[in-house]
Amino acid sequence: MTAVAPLALPAAFQPSNVDYLAILPLLIVFGAALVGVLVEAFAPRERRHVIQVGLAVVGLLGAAVAIIPAAGHQGVTMGLADGSTNRQMFALAVDGPALFMQGTIVLMGVLGILTMAERFGGTGPDAFTPSGASTPGSANETAAARAGALTSEVFPLTMFAIFGMMLFPTTNDLIGMFVALEVLSLPLYILSGLARRRRLLSQEASLKYFLLGAFSSAFFLFGTALLYGYAGSVYFGDLSRAIASGPLAMNGLLLPGAFLVFVGLLFKVGAVPFHAWTPDVYQGAPTPVTGFMAACTKAAAFGAILRLAYVGLDTGRWEWTNALVLVALLTMVVGAVLSVTQTDMKRLLAYSSIAHAGFILVGVLAFDRKAIGAVLFYLVAYGFATIAAFAIVSLVRQNGAEATHLSQWAGLGKRYPVVAGAFAFLMLAFAGIPLTSGFVSKFAVFSAAVGTGGATGTVLAVVGVVCSAITVFVYARVIVLMFFSDAPDDAVEVVTPSVSTTFSIAIGTLVTLALGVLPSALLDLADRASQFVR
Amino acid sequence: MAQLLLLHLLAAVVAPWLAKVLRRKAFPVLAVAPAVSFGWLVSVSSDVRAGNLPTQRISWVPGLGIDLDFRLTTLSWVLALLVTGVGALVLLYCTWYFAERDPTLWRFTSVFTAFAGAMLGLVLTDNLLVLYVFWELTTVFSYLLIGHNPASSTNRRAAMQALIVTTFGGLAMLIGIIAVGVHHTYSISELLADPPPLDAVTVTALVLLLVGALSKSALVPFHFWLPGAMAAPTPVSAYLHAAAMVKAGIYLVALLAPAFAGAPAWHALTVGLGLLTMLVGGWRALRQHDIKLLLAYGTVSQLGFIVAIAGLGTKTSALSALALVIAHGLFKSTLFLTVGVVDKCTGTRDLRELSGVGRRLLPVSVPATLAALSMAGIIPLAGFVSKESALEALWQDVQTSTPLPGPWSWLAVTGVVAGSALTVAYTARFLWGAFATKPGVDPTPVKAAHPGFVLSPLLLGVGCLLLGLLSPLESPWLMPYAVSSPLGDTPPSLALWHGLTVPLGLSLVSVAVGLLLFVRRDVVGRAQARVPALVDGERGFSRTMRWVDRGAVETTAVTQRGSLPIYLAAILIVFVALPGAAALTRGTLPSIRLWDNVGQAVVGVFMVAAAVLVLVTRRRLTAVMLVGATGYGVSLLFVLHGAPDLAITQMLVETVSLVVFVLALRRLPTKFTRHPHSPSRTWRIALGVAVGASVGLIALVASGGRTADPVSAEFPTEAYAFGHGKNIVNVTLVDIRAWDTLGEVSVLVAAATGIASLIFVRTRNTRLSRATAKALPSSNPARGTWLHGGRTMRKEKRSVIFEVVTRLVFHVMLAASLFLLFAGHNQPGGGFAGGLVAGLALVVRYLAGGRYELDEAAPFDAGLLVGLGLLVAVGSALAPLAFGGTILETTAVDFTLPPCGEVHLVTSLFFDIGVYLIVVGMMLDIVRSLGTGIDRQIADEESEQEREVART
Repeated sequence: MTAVAPLALPAAFQPSNVDYLAILPLLIVFGAALVGVLVEAFAPRERRHVIQVGLAVVGLLGAAVAIIPAAGHQGVTMGLADGSTNRQMFALAVDGPALFMQGTIVLMGVLGILTMAERFGGTGPDAFTPSGASTPGSANETAAARAGALTSEVFPLTMFAIFGMMLFPTTNDLIGMFVALEVLSLPLYILSGLARRRRLLSQEASLKYFLLGAFSSAFFLFGTALLYGYAGSVYFGDLSRAIASGPLAMNGLLLPGAFLVFVGLLFKVGAVPFHAWTPDVYQGAPTPVTGFMAACTKAAAFGAILRLAYVGLDTGRWEWTNALVLVALLTMVVGAVLSVTQTDMKRLLAYSSIAHAGFILVGVLAFDRKAIGAVLFYLVAYGFATIAAFAIVSLVRQNGAEATHLSQWAGLGKRYPVVAGAFAFLMLAFAGIPLTSGFVSKFAVFSAAVGTGGATGTVLAVVGVVCSAITVFVYARVIVLMFFSDAPDDAVEVVTPSVSTTFSIAIGTLVTLALGVLPSALLDLADRASQFVR
Repeated sequence: MAQLLLLHLLAAVVAPWLAKVLRRKAFPVLAVAPAVSFGWLVSVSSDVRAGNLPTQRISWVPGLGIDLDFRLTTLSWVLALLVTGVGALVLLYCTWYFAERDPTLWRFTSVFTAFAGAMLGLVLTDNLLVLYVFWELTTVFSYLLIGHNPASSTNRRAAMQALIVTTFGGLAMLIGIIAVGVHHTYSISELLADPPPLDAVTVTALVLLLVGALSKSALVPFHFWLPGAMAAPTPVSAYLHAAAMVKAGIYLVALLAPAFAGAPAWHALTVGLGLLTMLVGGWRALRQHDIKLLLAYGTVSQLGFIVAIAGLGTKTSALSALALVIAHGLFKSTLFLTVGVVDKCTGTRDLRELSGVGRRLLPVSVPATLAALSMAGIIPLAGFVSKESALEALWQDVQTSTPLPGPWSWLAVTGVVAGSALTVAYTARFLWGAFATKPGVDPTPVKAAHPGFVLSPLLLGVGCLLLGLLSPLESPWLMPYAVSSPLGDTPPSLALWHGLTVPLGLSLVSVAVGLLLFVRRDVVGRAQARVPALVDGERGFSRTMRWVDRGAVETTAVTQRGSLPIYLAAILIVFVALPGAAALTRGTLPSIRLWDNVGQAVVGVFMVAAAVLVLVTRRRLTAVMLVGATGYGVSLLFVLHGAPDLAITQMLVETVSLVVFVLALRRLPTKFTRHPHSPSRTWRIALGVAVGASVGLIALVASGGRTADPVSAEFPTEAYAFGHGKNIVNVTLVDIRAWDTLGEVSVLVAAATGIASLIFVRTRNTRLSRATAKALPSSNPARGTWLHGGRTMRKEKRSVIFEVVTRLVFHVMLAASLFLLFAGHNQPGGGFAGGLVAGLALVVRYLAGGRYELDEAAPFDAGLLVGLGLLVAVGSALAPLAFGGTILETTAVDFTLPPCGEVHLVTSLFFDIGVYLIVVGMMLDIVRSLGTGIDRQIADEESEQEREVART
């Protein structure tokens, strides 16, 4: 290579210093995903499912364990050391928020994988189409179904997505963030299109998700280019310094760049007006995938938003905050109001997720260390409840297909009090009723907003509370429907799940309860993990 | 105190099991929990009176300031006594209220006990957040209790209404609590001991707290939920109205009054709304026929009264508020419980049907009468004492003009007197309605009540009397709360007789007016029918709900249509509005030079015209051509700018994409299906233009923001010194940023494989079919031919001229492609351009001779070529390592090759050869999938159709 390169880069090729213990969780998940691909190629078909599920769960648990030693190796690693300024470029920031998010994503990933593994004791079909690439209703598809084909590649795909999600809040520069964004998104696009039933709806969801996602990724990249033009670096630390000392004349690059990068990230969390895909995709995707996606993508993307807002663009806050405040307001109001009319359970949960994204944004916009802890806590609380909720949705069936229309849920509580009770409890958690994790998390973000967000924060918190009240109405209606209405004649049934789904639902519900009653331990952990490295 | 709550929790947990085993005998067992609590409260009463307040602290969520602090003050002591005492008696009463085989008993017992526990926690806690937690818990539990009989839709609606209204209030309160807590403290005792200054934050917080309290206590405009909650079983109503739930709001007002009574908006919200509620509730109560509903409106009225008095904030009013709370708790629970007995024993609650019940149910009618007289404020009952005290407090206000100024204090007195008159009237209506023997109505058949059933109302009713008689003994216990108010003088003790005072006179006036109203009830009823309901909270509530519903439906219909263009439009509009606008307002534009020579302008106009025409045309092929024209325009611009290398590449890429388009278009309709003049097209075009303008603007601003020298300034010298080439573009690709190129070609390989496998899933076009094997029988193999493939095509599809030209041109094109490859280092060209030319040569062969001809021309798998190319590229990248260089290092070798002469060989050529092979392979893949593959699909479909025809 010639010496024509940005002056900051060292002229000679030099290996980067890697602290392997610090990135061990990432390596384990990535390795498990790669092995999963090999299993798909070489393991006999009838044993693939078991091997894949085992591999994924073991890999994720291993990664969760590996986070403990990684916590002792915090810092910036894996970058190019630059002799002159002593900074690390293109590095991973293994710090509190990153590790906390990694742990959250990995553990929620375990529940997600277990829900996806559901085959109802081997007697029933799983949630995925036997042949994703065939035209719906074609002879190929029928043949694959008759041959009993299983789409066990969903597990390595999920693992790749999890790897991307773990990387997302860990990357410390815009390029790395973009790579992580794509790594997590592409498997999700595929996974959304693999529903066994209602194939066309699923494929449409996948296509919409992909096209809109591609657009927002492009915006992200465009913004990255502009920010690079502004700061001469994509590294967050440099960006922050450049904004602090940069010439005002270049603001024409900074502001559009910041907005565009945020568009890419806000799309992933489903913030209004980048939310339109959420209901369609949540409805069309296989239900276990929806639960996984809702919980983990949100966690990863908010991790990334936190890092961008608190480390990369923190010094230029006054420039872009107002736009984000507007987005947060819209997200809360639209998510809450539109959830009122939904008649489909999955769409209802989708709007609920939009509203929750708004509440979390309120926390992000408080710009305080306490707020970081609150947001981290919120993501855990919401994620576990969501996975459990979608897992329950996947159990309520009529003639073998999922019964997601609200009217089909009438009277469920009388016939299946335990399942309906768990679902009702999760609904209360979404509504933010005390003694559920939902209350503690909402309280944490709103008090952070009122405490340090100034007048804007108070307005956001008030709107957030009003929107919460609206959503209470929605969730209460579901509870009323389940417990106080009479079941229709062609009543739905709750399929008895296998151990894996039961485990997911139980853990999700118990965590929701535990975080409501005894939130201190996790709050403290989140609070201690709220310091970003720079 | 936490132990008491734990006891309730425990009772609630075991309740379902108890109910299964003991049936309704479980109630007396469960009543032990509140009874024990009551006992404990009585045991600490002297401590509370002495100001030796019991406290307890358990750490819960210190990170958020939520700690389980408990502290027994006079106020909370009084309310706790009420909560536990009435709770225990109501639970006892339930034993006879419910049927032995009631299937929902397990749920009811549990929820009711938990509700009692939550209410107890609410009054005991010293932490605002914990108070909120218990507050919401009472909401949830009361929701479950009100909706107890889910079969009826009235119950469901009432439960929902109660839930939404009180949750809304609760959440408003939460914001208030957060605002107070974040800026000051979450501890109630600290807050009251050291009230924060009344700045904007504190006042807002106070208003929000009051909204919570008012919604819970069912004050106007939230008053409608309470009568609706009548749908609950009678014991629940009794508890809800007398001791729990609605008393939570009063508790909060009474709690805050000593510290904040002077705050702006405080008196308007408490005294103002309180008195309004008193009048509205009383007025409505006069119209009810259901005696339970009558009592419910009575509660609304009384709650307004208590809140008004508690909110006044003087020492006298504080004392009387507390006395009112106790008196109300006793008489209202008695009344509801007796109504329950009447309901059970007669089967009706309609006062038009009840007749002669009083005489036959003496154990019920006696306590009920005592309680009703207490409600009306008749001497010597508890209600009289407390009302007297309240009037005294208001009269003091009139005399001193504090805290309410003159006219307002008069208004307040008038309001209370009017409200009391209404109270007397509806009390009389109740007594008459429930127990009197009415002329013209048949005596209602009455079943005898079980002695246990009437025990609780009897005890409570006698309590009303005793409390009135013993009122002087009562006041010392309440005094510590009263003196905590800063305003006014220490009030005289509560007593039945203070002499001939103004309040006594007012009291007499109200009784007289009330009795008159009752006697002339027909006239009053007619008047009521003529006056429209002034404050109809329920209608407002349902209107709001409908509005939300409707708004949601319409917004969904507009925004969530499932249409991808609309979703995308939303994102794009934001793009224009935020980054676009930001660039416009913040950016600095560079100085713009319109053109270097006029040719550029001409080409520009040509491109713009082509782009506009794309929108106008309705034929797909034309549109593709026009899009191609813009691309060729770009390549012309490159030429005019002096970049022949880029121009060649652009031209080739444009041609290849044109071919690909045309190949794919064979399977699409010739015309677009859109309507050219639809409105949606108009806004789409407008949005497209706006987005394009934004992108252009941002690009301009970006180039205007340049402060550093471009990195390309050094390229010419560096390219020659290190890359040994004069074509900067090519050297850049294969040397300066060779890493990127290596990555790009890898992506290209993946993309090519992806295209081939995605388009034809089942039949990846690896099967070769050479033309010689597929010649049509009609053609004569003996004759010479230009292209072998031609013989496989039908005559009407062949073009001899095309075949001849192809035969002549193919090898020339290949040679040209090789020339471009080798010459590229110093002259325009390079591996990429060369590869494209070779690919185009294959395309030409395919077009002229069909798919079999293609396999003749390239009798190998595209994957092979692509893989080979990647191997060569990677190999040449790694090779320098073997000679001690670094990866992708370039060396120039000069030597003499006899026939050619001097050869200047640069090692990056090998890398370029890899690129060349990859591009050719990718082209082959494209033609195989989009050309051959589609051909095969068409052929399959045709033979399918032929078979169909043959069958029919």
